[in-house]
Amino acid sequence: MSRLTAKALLATALVPLLAAPVAAQDYGNFEGYTLRVKLIGGAQYEPLYAEISKWEEMTGATVEILSRKNHFELDREIKQDIAARTLDWCVGSNHTSFAPQYGNIYADLNELIDADTLDAFVPLVLEHSTVGGRLVQLPRHSDVSNMFYIKSLFADGDNQTAFKAEYGYDLAPPETWAQVLDQAKFFANPPDFYGTQFVGKDEAVVGRFYEMLVAEGGQLFTDDWEPTFNSEAGVRALQWFVDLYQSKAVPVGVPNYLWDDTGLGFASGTVALNLDWAGWSAFFNDPENSKVAGDVGLVRAPKGSSGKRTGWSGSHSFSITEACDNKDAAASFVTFITDHDRQMVEARNGLLPTRTAVWEDAKAEFAADGRDFMVDVFDTFATSMSEDAFTPPLIPEWIEVSNVLWPRLQAALVGDMTAQEALDKAAEEALLIMEDAGYR
Amino acid sequence: MLRYFRARQAKLTPLLLLSPALLTMLFVVGIPMVFSFYTSLTPYRLTRPETIETFIGLRNYTRLLSDEAFWIAFGRTILFLAIALNVEFLLGLGIALLINRITWGQRTLRTIMMFPMMFSPILVGFQFKFIFNDNIGILNNALQSLGLADQAIPWLVDGKLAMFSIIFAEVWMSTSVFAILLLAGLFAMPRDPLEAAKVDGCNPWQVFRHIMLPFIMPFAFIAMTIRSLDVARAYDIVAVMTDGGPAGRTELLWTLIARMGYENARMGQANAMAYISTILSIAFTYYFFTKLVAARRFMGGAE
Amino acid sequence: MSRTLKNRLRAAGLWFATFVLMVTICVPGLWVVLSAFRPNREILAKPPVWVPENLTLGNFSKIFGFGENQVAIPVLDYFSNSLVIAITSTLIALIVGMSGGYAFARFRFRFKNAWFLGLMLSRTVPGIALSLPIFMIWSRLGIIDTKTGLIIVYVALNVPFTIWLIDGFFRQIPASLSEAAQVDGCTRWQAFWRIEFPLARSGIAAAGVFAFLTSWNEFALASQLTRSTDSKTLPVGLMDFTSQFTIDWAGMSAMAVIIIVPALILTFIVQKHLIAGLTFGGVKG
Repeated sequence: MSRLTAKALLATALVPLLAAPVAAQDYGNFEGYTLRVKLIGGAQYEPLYAEISKWEEMTGATVEILSRKNHFELDREIKQDIAARTLDWCVGSNHTSFAPQYGNIYADLNELIDADTLDAFVPLVLEHSTVGGRLVQLPRHSDVSNMFYIKSLFADGDNQTAFKAEYGYDLAPPETWAQVLDQAKFFANPPDFYGTQFVGKDEAVVGRFYEMLVAEGGQLFTDDWEPTFNSEAGVRALQWFVDLYQSKAVPVGVPNYLWDDTGLGFASGTVALNLDWAGWSAFFNDPENSKVAGDVGLVRAPKGSSGKRTGWSGSHSFSITEACDNKDAAASFVTFITDHDRQMVEARNGLLPTRTAVWEDAKAEFAADGRDFMVDVFDTFATSMSEDAFTPPLIPEWIEVSNVLWPRLQAALVGDMTAQEALDKAAEEALLIMEDAGYR
Repeated sequence: MLRYFRARQAKLTPLLLLSPALLTMLFVVGIPMVFSFYTSLTPYRLTRPETIETFIGLRNYTRLLSDEAFWIAFGRTILFLAIALNVEFLLGLGIALLINRITWGQRTLRTIMMFPMMFSPILVGFQFKFIFNDNIGILNNALQSLGLADQAIPWLVDGKLAMFSIIFAEVWMSTSVFAILLLAGLFAMPRDPLEAAKVDGCNPWQVFRHIMLPFIMPFAFIAMTIRSLDVARAYDIVAVMTDGGPAGRTELLWTLIARMGYENARMGQANAMAYISTILSIAFTYYFFTKLVAARRFMGGAE
Repeated sequence: MSRTLKNRLRAAGLWFATFVLMVTICVPGLWVVLSAFRPNREILAKPPVWVPENLTLGNFSKIFGFGENQVAIPVLDYFSNSLVIAITSTLIALIVGMSGGYAFARFRFRFKNAWFLGLMLSRTVPGIALSLPIFMIWSRLGIIDTKTGLIIVYVALNVPFTIWLIDGFFRQIPASLSEAAQVDGCTRWQAFWRIEFPLARSGIAAAGVFAFLTSWNEFALASQLTRSTDSKTLPVGLMDFTSQFTIDWAGMSAMAVIIIVPALILTFIVQKHLIAGLTFGGVKG
């Protein structure tokens, strides 16, 4: 019976997706079992959870959602659980940047999930999900940033002539970060209009600095884990942000901005260029929410002076605890919730899939529905996910290191310190953390 | 025999009556404090529970002694408290004096006055984060459309303005507490001395300065004490509005402790900080409390 | 113009001026309330939309999950949790506070002032320092993510102030009243309920309002000790509108209105007792 329902469901869900490699997967039978899970909450993530009842029907198990919070709160909760030794649940939402902190509380999925299933995922993303040789999480959707811009500004003839006269080259969507700086200054007309913007605090600004550091040819740590972000490349990377900020091409408030500020800022139509996550694409192009809907262009994230593009990336994922009392059920659940159809549900809302096939199928569906902008989005993001994406160092100390970095980055932005001083100071503090942690 | 029993009972009754309160506080505050004091003597990390068994003596504390960032945050917290509490007192006094003069429809006004008290601190944080946003925030928009500013004012970024903004949010949320307590003080005020003073030809300022103010000071100290009991509520506001940034310009002890304890998972170090900050709030509260006792004596009321 | 009319006009003018001032002070809060009835696009617009163009109940229907593709926020669960937790903890805090306040007001015992000060100071410990130890102990007792766990904490938050207020109030009631009743044959218990309690009612009501508002709005500890709809309270539910990258400010404002309105109504109802209760001894002529 349950098998039949599953087939029926798959069949109806897959009508437009003939290309999909579909085998009616058997999710097993866990009659009477209650699977305890902790999930990331928030409007973007919730539609997927409506699918859970299908797994319950197929397997006879019940899913008990113990908590549903945003990731920073979930992180706190999981740390409390580790501390109080109350890991009495099986599946938890995870993230590639957070995963290394949790030590060995999560099981190696290479042993729990069959190789065929894993083969369907984008290899680079699985690699990012691996900590110390163990696949501690199954990625649900990925994220990376690309450059959104207001098309009409770039198409405008007056702008083109004026820009050429001032900077000596044609106005076109930026290919390098140096061009972004020029164009941002060109478009800026504070306080009514800004060239671009960036997030300015917490782990967010560290991530932005980190990807710029990589694009400038630098790295955070040497091979034996000595902080080296105060290198020449590091100063260049930070100086780019400082120049942008000091020239008032970005809102003066950016040192206090987080993702919601940049996203809403661009949607308000007062920002020309905006490097942002894929998850915002649908929002930017939705007339209900955005004033620039219909006028949004997208190009791959620009290159730094080393010729490398920025590509700070992370994936949302699911992990299974070592303490889980029924790992088979947990593995079945995690497989189901990241399977082809489930990823399609999220892809339709603009989230980037982690299965190779879903990239193509989602794009085909957008094309069929005439959602050209989303086709464009998926094209651009597919390229950057496979060619540009990289993660922060997958070490437990990442969050702690980023917490000593961001106040210093801000100090350079607002002019309390020079870029070199700020990075030197942060490197000193980061070294202490690495020493405390026994790396050196 | 009976007398002995009575005497015995008289001694035990107050303790018996107090015991629920004492037990609650012991359970919710006492025991956790002992535990957190112990962890402050270990290199306890949340993500590595076994570290709680390593004893390192006062190392976390000695580390703090030379931690510049910590002491700056410490000083800034005192500044924050001193400014916020005083401004709240003055504004609260003004509002209370005004409403006290109203004879009709006062209940409505008092309810409106208490409106900010209905706001959860976390909500106040979000609300002022949006209001003070430099680009799409309503405050800058208003200033610009009224022609009062031709630039975006970085409320949450500029060194002085950022502190101003978080203090503003805190004051907005808590002035009502002062106002309502001071208003109660004004209500309780005997009319006779006021009338007598008027007959004697005192001007309104003299009446206020020499008759009203001494009378309502105990209420002010009560308000101060109550507020210093739970000023740590401001943590929610600051965490949302600036999280101590930019460049540590609004870093208060509470944001520092929360980041150290949870994000960095270094609970041992964080608890050492928390202990020092507890001493700070005890000192503040104790100060206002002794003032209160003195003021009550002065009034000749019950101690 | 007659004198009474003049006085009346002056009073009305004063009232109106004060009213305008109060409302001005409330503007940042009223902005939240207004936001609850406007779409996000209009609230955070630039140039700003001063006069609301679309007033809508959409944010509320979104919360309750009407309409397509909307995930309901379990606001009814949060509401009932908040109500149960705030009311229960207020009642318990009042009982504990009455018994403690009575002890301080009516008995002499050793180290009385030290006990009193100790109780007050125990309240100064910042929640952030207590959150982890409380979490560890609560999890041993199995009361994490239960209403009971939060109620116990809120009782402790409110007991010191409640004792203080009620102590002050009992002191103002002459002990001779209850003594007279005891001479007439009442037990001390009966004398308390028939004589002293009714007289202290305003003080108890005032303490109750403060306790209720504290519990109703508390966030820091609740966010640590609650996890699911079994115990999450309304302020914690506000965080449901934040996710990694976004804050749904319109939705949050709508939820805020749901939090504020009951508290406001309660405050209005007990307003009379509130002032009287805070004067520590009733209004003197």
